[in-house]
Amino acid sequence: MTLYIFYFLSFLAILSAFMVVFSKNPVHSVLYLIVTFFAIAGHYILLNAQFLAAVHIIVYAGAIMVLFLYVIMMLNLNKETEPHKSTYLKLAATVSGGIFMVVLIGSLKGVEKIENLNAANQSAGLIKNLGHVLYNDYMLPFEMASILFLTAMVGAVLLGKNELK
Amino acid sequence: MKSLLLLSGLGLSAMLAELFNLKKFLFPLVCLGLLATIGVSIYDYNTDIHLFNNMLRLDNSALMFTGSMAFITLLWLIGAQDYIEKETSISDKYALILFTLVGAFVMVSYNNLTMLFIGLEILSMSLYVLAGSKKNDLLSNEAAIKYFLMGSFATGFLLFGIALIYGVTGSFHIDVIGEYCRANANNMPNMFLAAILLILVGMAFKASAAPFHFWAPDVYTGAPTLVTTYMVTVVKTAAVVSFMRLFYTSFGSVPYSWQVIVSIIAVLTMFIGNVTAVYQPKVKRLLAYSSVAHAGYLLVGLVALSNLSNGAIFYYTLAYSVASILAFHILFVLADSKNNDIDINAFNGLVKRNPLMAFGMTVAMFSLAGIPPIAGFFGKYYIFSAAIEAGRYKLVLLAVIASLISIYFYFKIVIAVYFKTTNEKTIKLSNSYKLLYAICIAILFAMAIAPQFFITIQQ
Repeated sequence: MTLYIFYFLSFLAILSAFMVVFSKNPVHSVLYLIVTFFAIAGHYILLNAQFLAAVHIIVYAGAIMVLFLYVIMMLNLNKETEPHKSTYLKLAATVSGGIFMVVLIGSLKGVEKIENLNAANQSAGLIKNLGHVLYNDYMLPFEMASILFLTAMVGAVLLGKNELK
Repeated sequence: MKSLLLLSGLGLSAMLAELFNLKKFLFPLVCLGLLATIGVSIYDYNTDIHLFNNMLRLDNSALMFTGSMAFITLLWLIGAQDYIEKETSISDKYALILFTLVGAFVMVSYNNLTMLFIGLEILSMSLYVLAGSKKNDLLSNEAAIKYFLMGSFATGFLLFGIALIYGVTGSFHIDVIGEYCRANANNMPNMFLAAILLILVGMAFKASAAPFHFWAPDVYTGAPTLVTTYMVTVVKTAAVVSFMRLFYTSFGSVPYSWQVIVSIIAVLTMFIGNVTAVYQPKVKRLLAYSSVAHAGYLLVGLVALSNLSNGAIFYYTLAYSVASILAFHILFVLADSKNNDIDINAFNGLVKRNPLMAFGMTVAMFSLAGIPPIAGFFGKYYIFSAAIEAGRYKLVLLAVIASLISIYFYFKIVIAVYFKTTNEKTIKLSNSYKLLYAICIAILFAMAIAPQFFITIQQ
């Protein structure tokens, strides 16, 4: 059963990711991206990461996608005005992307040698356990993230403020 | 730990200073804080402390690089004070600079890949903003958006690599990863090698090494001159040191091929940087390309991967940063009266207009080119001898050829300074600039007197 759900979600995620790239209308791209995010959230649930799945939907599918839609609306990107790239650029992108894909597929060879060091834990993704890990093992990165967000906030204010003397 | 608290606290108080109208006291406060950071780093010397479940490891390398970066920032601030305080949002800029230093501190002392990522992001995030801080200048905006988009992309590669490494080893700690590598040296899963490749892409981008350097000249040229100075000194040091820390601790025993890739990247970086710099008429862009080339020399030290290379990179980054600060601040003063983008002719007859600036520029150029009596020479000397010790003769030969090319364009500036004439009037320097130039020149000579000292304190 789980295996079928996995295949279905993977199919959905890859298909809608392709549609994000290929659809001409930016709004359609954003909507397909939401589908992709939901499919990935489904994967998280299959991996016992319930909290991550919920946050993923709330933050990405909720907040960030609304932001995307607003940007598209504000910049009026709704028309199909994207300039065409040169053939040379397209060729270079295809070749480098293809090489990257070969590297990633090649990296899967010999995966069965890797031993499973952190055995699956049914309750690993619950908020309680996550909190324990965050406030014990990963205390410092968790707190340092606050400086990262503070920097981003100061930066946004600095760039957005009117120059008043 | 003390430096982390000091720097973060200093950044926060810089933000709050605007609220309480204490902006006048910010400059002395920040200087004192940076001095305290340097003092604390020296005080903690030879204490190998692991913090917060091994998230940070304050070994001698971490402490000395923290001290040297705080010192470089201090030098930078002496010249940048006028500039920062002439503009609006003073406290925000001080806060951002201090936060970049927090990020740089984390990047030189991390022992866990999550810390590396967070340090890198703190550093980059502030720089994206600082690069675009000249809001009415189109080039500055272009620099910011270019740096932001490309930087995010590179961080994506780095994260992908980190995730694959976690998948193979089950740990983010770089020493645990190192042990895994030693245990499985003959039996590396392909996934691990792909992960090294991805991390290499991310780190090479941050260090502006070819072929991931395309952002660097545009961003360095477009950003305000003093922000560029900060980027080519402190930020480049942090990027290269974090690169070295990861590869030295973790991947040192991986049997094949990342050294080959890094060697190729180093050679490409040196040649592309130096050869392109020869054709640049604008001095700022010339110095931007030369800083790309210097990333290449640092990578030569990284490939050598011995005890000596750690000290050599320390000495090199310090000498290179002081010389760059000297060169860029002279460029800044010279360009201040005119538009931002001056070409080499603007240096004509500088010796008549202001002898101190002329001498400073000469010392900086000689140091960057690696001419014997000045610190830059010993930097290159130690880097190359570390590489020879590791048996990489061809790499050193190519590096020497590359630095011979670089002498051409560094000397073009020196010749303009001394042997060309001009009708421009003399330049009056404020006291802080005189002090800065004098300190930088003194350091470049002093470091040449006792190079061995800087090498040994790293071990």
